[in-house]
Amino acid sequence: MKSLRRDLPSNPQASNVASKVFVRSTKSGKVQKIVRELYLRQDIPCSSKLCSICPSIAPADANGNIAPFILSDRPAGTKAFPHGHYLVPDTNALLNGMDLFEHTGAFYDVIILQTVLEELRNLSLPLYNRLLALIKTDEKRFYLFFNEFRLETHVRRGPQESINDRNDRAVRAVATWYEEHLRASAKKGKKEKSIPALVVITDDKDNIKKAKAENVTALSLSDYVSGLEDSERLLDMISEAREARESRGTAGQLFYPEYLSMSKIMTGLRAGTLHQGVFNVSPYNYLEGSVKVPSFNKPLLILGRDNSNRAISGDVVVIEVLPQDQWKSPSSKIVDEEAVTRNDNPDSEETENVVSENERKALQEEVKKAHGKNSEGKPQPTAKVVGIIKRGWRQYVGHVDSNSTGSQAASGRRQQTVFVLAMDRKVPKIRLRTRQAGDLLGKRILVTIDSWDRDSRYPTGHFIRSLGELETKAAETEALLLEYDVQYKPFPKSVLDCLPSEGHDWKVPASKEDKGWKGRRDLRDLLICSIDPPGCQDIDDALHARPLSNGNFEVGVHIADVSHFVKPNNPMDFEASVRGTTVYLVDKRIDMLPSLLGTDLCSLKPYVERYAFSVIWEVTPNAEIVSSDFTKSVIRSREAFSYERAQKRIDDPSQTDELTESMRNLLRFSKILRQKRYDAGALNLASPEVRIEADSDEVGDPLTDVKTKAMLETNSLVEEFMLLANITVGSKIFESFSQTALLRRHATPPPQNFEDLINQLSKKRGMELDVSSSGALASSLDRCVDSQNPFFNTLVRILATRCMTSAEYFCAGAHAEPEFRHYGLASPIYTHFTSPIRRYADLIVHRQLASAIGYEGEDGHAVIEGVSTRSKLEDICQNINYRHRNAQFAGRASIEYYVGQALKARGEQMAEGGTDSGIDEEGYVMRVFENGVVVFVPRFGIEGTVRLEDFVLPGESNAWTVSERKELAAHRTTDFDIEEYKLRVEEKGHSEKERGVTVELFQKVKVNVSSVKEEGRGAGKRRVRILITG
Amino acid sequence: MSNQRQASSASQTPHLSPAELSYLYTSLSLPRAPIRPDGRSPTQFRPLSAESNILPGTNGSARIGFADGTQAIVGVKAEVERTNLATDTLASQSDVNDSEEHQGSAAVSGHGSWVQMSIEIPGFRDDDALPVFLSEMMRESLVGSVTEGSGKADAADAAEMAGGLKGRLVINKRWHWRLYIDVLLLSQPLSYPLPLLSLTTHLALLSTKLPKLKSQGEEDPFFDDDWAVAEYLYPRISSQKTKLPSQYVRPPVTLLVISVGENVIFDPNREEIAVADAVLAISLTRDSEAGSLKLLSIRTIDPPSRLTQPAVPNSENVNMLGAPAPTEDIAVLNPVTGEEEVPGVWRPRRGGIKRSVIANMVQTVLKKGGVGEDVLEGLEGVEVE
Repeated sequence: MKSLRRDLPSNPQASNVASKVFVRSTKSGKVQKIVRELYLRQDIPCSSKLCSICPSIAPADANGNIAPFILSDRPAGTKAFPHGHYLVPDTNALLNGMDLFEHTGAFYDVIILQTVLEELRNLSLPLYNRLLALIKTDEKRFYLFFNEFRLETHVRRGPQESINDRNDRAVRAVATWYEEHLRASAKKGKKEKSIPALVVITDDKDNIKKAKAENVTALSLSDYVSGLEDSERLLDMISEAREARESRGTAGQLFYPEYLSMSKIMTGLRAGTLHQGVFNVSPYNYLEGSVKVPSFNKPLLILGRDNSNRAISGDVVVIEVLPQDQWKSPSSKIVDEEAVTRNDNPDSEETENVVSENERKALQEEVKKAHGKNSEGKPQPTAKVVGIIKRGWRQYVGHVDSNSTGSQAASGRRQQTVFVLAMDRKVPKIRLRTRQAGDLLGKRILVTIDSWDRDSRYPTGHFIRSLGELETKAAETEALLLEYDVQYKPFPKSVLDCLPSEGHDWKVPASKEDKGWKGRRDLRDLLICSIDPPGCQDIDDALHARPLSNGNFEVGVHIADVSHFVKPNNPMDFEASVRGTTVYLVDKRIDMLPSLLGTDLCSLKPYVERYAFSVIWEVTPNAEIVSSDFTKSVIRSREAFSYERAQKRIDDPSQTDELTESMRNLLRFSKILRQKRYDAGALNLASPEVRIEADSDEVGDPLTDVKTKAMLETNSLVEEFMLLANITVGSKIFESFSQTALLRRHATPPPQNFEDLINQLSKKRGMELDVSSSGALASSLDRCVDSQNPFFNTLVRILATRCMTSAEYFCAGAHAEPEFRHYGLASPIYTHFTSPIRRYADLIVHRQLASAIGYEGEDGHAVIEGVSTRSKLEDICQNINYRHRNAQFAGRASIEYYVGQALKARGEQMAEGGTDSGIDEEGYVMRVFENGVVVFVPRFGIEGTVRLEDFVLPGESNAWTVSERKELAAHRTTDFDIEEYKLRVEEKGHSEKERGVTVELFQKVKVNVSSVKEEGRGAGKRRVRILITG
Repeated sequence: MSNQRQASSASQTPHLSPAELSYLYTSLSLPRAPIRPDGRSPTQFRPLSAESNILPGTNGSARIGFADGTQAIVGVKAEVERTNLATDTLASQSDVNDSEEHQGSAAVSGHGSWVQMSIEIPGFRDDDALPVFLSEMMRESLVGSVTEGSGKADAADAAEMAGGLKGRLVINKRWHWRLYIDVLLLSQPLSYPLPLLSLTTHLALLSTKLPKLKSQGEEDPFFDDDWAVAEYLYPRISSQKTKLPSQYVRPPVTLLVISVGENVIFDPNREEIAVADAVLAISLTRDSEAGSLKLLSIRTIDPPSRLTQPAVPNSENVNMLGAPAPTEDIAVLNPVTGEEEVPGVWRPRRGGIKRSVIANMVQTVLKKGGVGEDVLEGLEGVEVE
């Protein structure tokens, strides 16, 4: 009787069919046995240019072409492998040395196995992505070999063989096969001698031993690197994680508690006794973290290193709430890591405790505060980290702490351990072993964290590359872009290939018969103009208004038709979706789209015809909307105004031409719309923004470039109509795509977010803040006025803004309709439509709108483009939300850096003529701590921490240097009234009233701002020092 | 329809004439040396082909084919399920201690409903009497084979199987495995399909593996993703250990036994069943405690011979009236049934079975080296990997 079972020996087909069996546990708790069939083939090429067999058998595409072969026929040789070699790394080698593989000096002709790639993906997603990027580039010649599908290299797992052993065996099998294959197939004329060696790179000693037995050349990563030129620099780039663990062995003392097992964590999370959230570190106190979890309204506090248990800001952690007797109040103290742990020695592990003595003292002070009486001092629930779900580790920009290099720093190439201070204050010191400590001092460097073991106080990392000298513009800008994960490399060729071939000569087709005109309305005769900031090149939007015969008006907003040029799913679209947004730095713009599109073809430049996407309303003279219409169009902008010029033209009564009239109409409508919006409860928020005009001349006072943003009527003119267009388009696309419309929401902030601010206002000013709705908040914010202090209202608005959640893109299916509300704008629905040149979200919305109005595109079958699946859209939303946030941070950091540099330049100018006395300005106290205050300086839009030593007491000179002032701190005492938000600073032993300084919340203070060379973490940033002078 | 109804009683009755039935009966009832139509000895099974692990997607599977062409395949699937005890909600209101006890007992010993069995037989709906009856009969012996109080067992394997299959399905107090046993008869049921299905199920269960548990104690279960380390539902006999196979708990098997006259006949074919005095389904299992076989149940099955047409003795035959009655045609008392019969003249069996015959059957099955052990060993020998 014929067997039903497909036994391997009995089945003639079995030789090329294999199956893979594993157990999959689903999120819902189901456990499934999964069987996958593998069909083994023999036509997967070796991709070596030496091979004469594979080109004839490799699978061809529809045109009969085979994928070009990657591996060079003359691979580079080393001393050990004079005839050249191909590398076959295993997973650990990549894990420990990804930076090496990315290095341009070595590591060419690498065969990456599918087995290795998959294993890497399970171990580290970021590394996996980097490896994929490497495989994609041509110049490094990385070949992805699908060894699991090739008959000869498929390895069946043996009984009782661990999966690691099996994978190692697969690597060796590939090496063996390649060697034989190349020997058999090398093109004639090549002598056998010149066949490249196959070198397995593995850090597994056992694997090396087995390889030797099987006659496979295998080397450990460090052994291989040692044989290369420039090995010293390269050796630094090997991850420290594994080596360090081995060398330290069991001798190390365990500083941190162990994490719970995965199954314990899952049980706890399901049962609700453990919580999951993102770990955030307070910017003022590195020992204090918080985790926001869905089960509670307020974030839970994580105090001290013990409790944060090796979590680094950004990690997804699992926490357990501590018993109530360990609850504490959030700290009222500024604690800097470098101040507290200045004397730690990176080399010595023996003497260190997790909580060093100083840290412990700092913590004790906190406990005292826990007994306070009002809400600021009330003990709050605390928690400890018991597990890590996902590390949020990335590459960090920092510099070597000069204190940690030891005396013989510069001398010799001895390997030593140093600390790296990351620019991001929330990241702990990173322990780094290097042979080039001397060279790295004073450089901006890029490092990465490899591991953080229980027996190490600080995480261990390795060096990646140097960005250049500290404080040089190039290094600092690159540092900033890296820190905020901005993609700043030039556009690759594949993207540029997507641009129209005409380049700058591209024009709107003259003949209306042309396919480009299909479905487009001719709006060239409308008096359209654009209003933008001065010097704007990427003009997204233009406007017009004209009276209609029935007494109503026609108002149009015309947006650059980017979706015409960026077709879905081509490399340019993909690149734009990754970049997400254009990033504006003070002196640099990092575009989302190639500049040919952004500044020319899409940009609605004046006097030329351009494609546009128009939203046209009919409105009554009272700005009631009668109807709205959407169309693709061709427009010709009459003029590109700057805000100021537009304002002047409107204000100039002698101008009575149609264009000016239409602008006046627009302005009138915008005022009505604005009022309506405020009546509906929209918020007028403030953020500390300054504008920097970098193009002014060199000679003058550098600080004149720093300007606070002026708000002209024309600014709000444009803004109002853009809001209107966004809202109109939002409801239109939601109508058509109830699940996949890309919208933007601003969640209503929970009232407890405002608790502190409400308290502070009522205590200090007797004012009330009603946060029950956005309208109530808006009107109560309007009442927060101090006649003595005109800036006070803005200050409160800034603080209120910080209590809110940030707006986010989402896809309509992700939330219920009532949740679509935009809190700040008081609109039930909102999206972004008006800036497709600089935001990817707008581009998607353009596609969705085009589809919603039935626009068929040039070729007539583009109706559904842009309507992707929901899951894909959700991925996009997540990315653009992240990019958007980072772009804002990067922009602010850039301004901050520029202000610092301007102050420095000014200081140097002053120093030539005498002493650098800083610049006197007005500041406002935003927060009061026990040992300092945070002051906001509106003139520069910066806020800074003022420490004890930076209080200039009556009778003191303010011209002291940083180090001189540092000494002062020890001689100061403070009297901190937590309930009154008041801090009094005096000199020890001199408690006379007139010798001390008292500052309180919201107080206006005179400050002296200067740029000083910072030691420690901020080095190179030139910390902006603020002295309170009274 | 009538065909089906007949089949549902025992099996399709072959169309034999009364004379053939009578001849068969006489051959099979020969004292101590029955002559079976295929020449087998009374305890001999028909040759069968068996293999396990034929369905890669299941946790365990088997196929058995009898020489007469009947074939069955069985697949076993296991799923993790939260233990939801009705006492939970009740007890939460009442005494806490009480609830602890309740929970403890039910959650530790397992529950019969965790094993679900469905049988598909061609030509039958799934709610027809035969599949329902068969599946319940097999499920019952599966979940019923519990050794109470085997906690003292010192061997780890034995402890693992404490409480039998039900106990094995317990993961912890809050979680358990649920077994789905799907039995599929591939051919028309030529003879009563129970033994075939039971043997196949047994074999499938022997090859069933559950993913290896990584979590401990009362945690939510968390499993090793490597199928190669999955553990057998019924621990296998490893070659290194010197333990006797008798020390392992095994899933039960149900054997079909008939009696004809004084004779006990195993693995009857269709014709033999047609003339049986009694048809019994005997379930037995290997018991860890006693180290020997254990009888789980004996069920009588309605013998199809009851439905056959009787033959008419010459003495009563109208056509033969007047013909001289042969001397042999005198009614005699059948020693088994206690009925008057004319030799050579078929009479439907009216049921009833003597104690001594049952005792004989049970003994033949359970005794050392008996049929039961034979069968279990035979199945054990089927290559699982």
